[in-house]
Amino acid sequence: MKGFWRGLLATLPLAPGVVAFGLLYGVMARQVGFSPWEAWAMSLIVHAGSAQFTALGMWQASSAIPIILATLVINLRHMLLGASVAPYLRGLSPPWKALLALWMSDESYALAIAEYERGVGSHYYFLGANVGVYLAWPTSGLLGALLGAAIPDPGRYGLDLVFPLGFLGLLTAFLKDRTGVAVAILAGGLALLGTFLLPGKWAIVVAGLVGSGLGLLLDEVQKAWKNS
Amino acid sequence: MEKLVIFLGMALATYFTRYTMIAALGREMSPLLRRWLRYVPPAVLAALVAPAALAPQGRLEIDTHAWAVLAGAVVAWRTRSVLWTIVGGLAAFWLLRLLRI
Repeated sequence: MKGFWRGLLATLPLAPGVVAFGLLYGVMARQVGFSPWEAWAMSLIVHAGSAQFTALGMWQASSAIPIILATLVINLRHMLLGASVAPYLRGLSPPWKALLALWMSDESYALAIAEYERGVGSHYYFLGANVGVYLAWPTSGLLGALLGAAIPDPGRYGLDLVFPLGFLGLLTAFLKDRTGVAVAILAGGLALLGTFLLPGKWAIVVAGLVGSGLGLLLDEVQKAWKNS
Repeated sequence: MEKLVIFLGMALATYFTRYTMIAALGREMSPLLRRWLRYVPPAVLAALVAPAALAPQGRLEIDTHAWAVLAGAVVAWRTRSVLWTIVGGLAAFWLLRLLRI
């Protein structure tokens, strides 16, 4: 249970990022004709930032099926995240797994997996991180929808940097050996290239798959080298 | 009412992507798969950082964002702390803005 509070508190440095994008989401939701309560409901029910922004962008020109399919495609990266955290959750009961999957965000996943990598992770910490982000996202969305157009662009104050900077801090947990460093550099480069060539969040899926695959390959090569 | 149906559909689609692998990768996992999965976090985290630093608008540009993330990288390397990396990176961003670099 102590882990829960640690996980919850660990989301605090990321809160300015969540709130900045939550406010922006609320403003955009009003612009496509949502009431503040509808904007709030979407965040409470869906809880997936990038997918919600995309849905708002599609709202007036699209119907239910394309919006739901777009949500599926944008969130495919979560399958990769889920797979990588799965080894740490193997001993848990099915209800725990179902609960942890419910509010898993990029941010809470990153916090939890870095903690697991350092050997101090727990499912309570993971849950606390999930809940921390879940508390901030719908609340700031509602606030943005109520306040309206008075919200400035997060990029002006560098608040769009909060998540990448946070991910950078967590990345250090995985750079213990040369293979880890090589994987990060390769995946970073691939993701950059991917953003120019691929739509939506495909760059992250491709860079995540190819980067980690190359890590395994480098591992095997090193092993073969030592044994020869 | 129609909105609620779409929200629920989006929630289901999202939950599907979050839950399937956690549920599917159960007790028996080949050592090769486990070793591969260990490299997923550094790959995904780096993939989330690089475009935000070097192409915040979707095209390559070395501007305030890039320098701020570079400053953040130095802080991350020295402290390994999420809080200080964010504080350091944002401080660099605001300083560069102030100096209009």
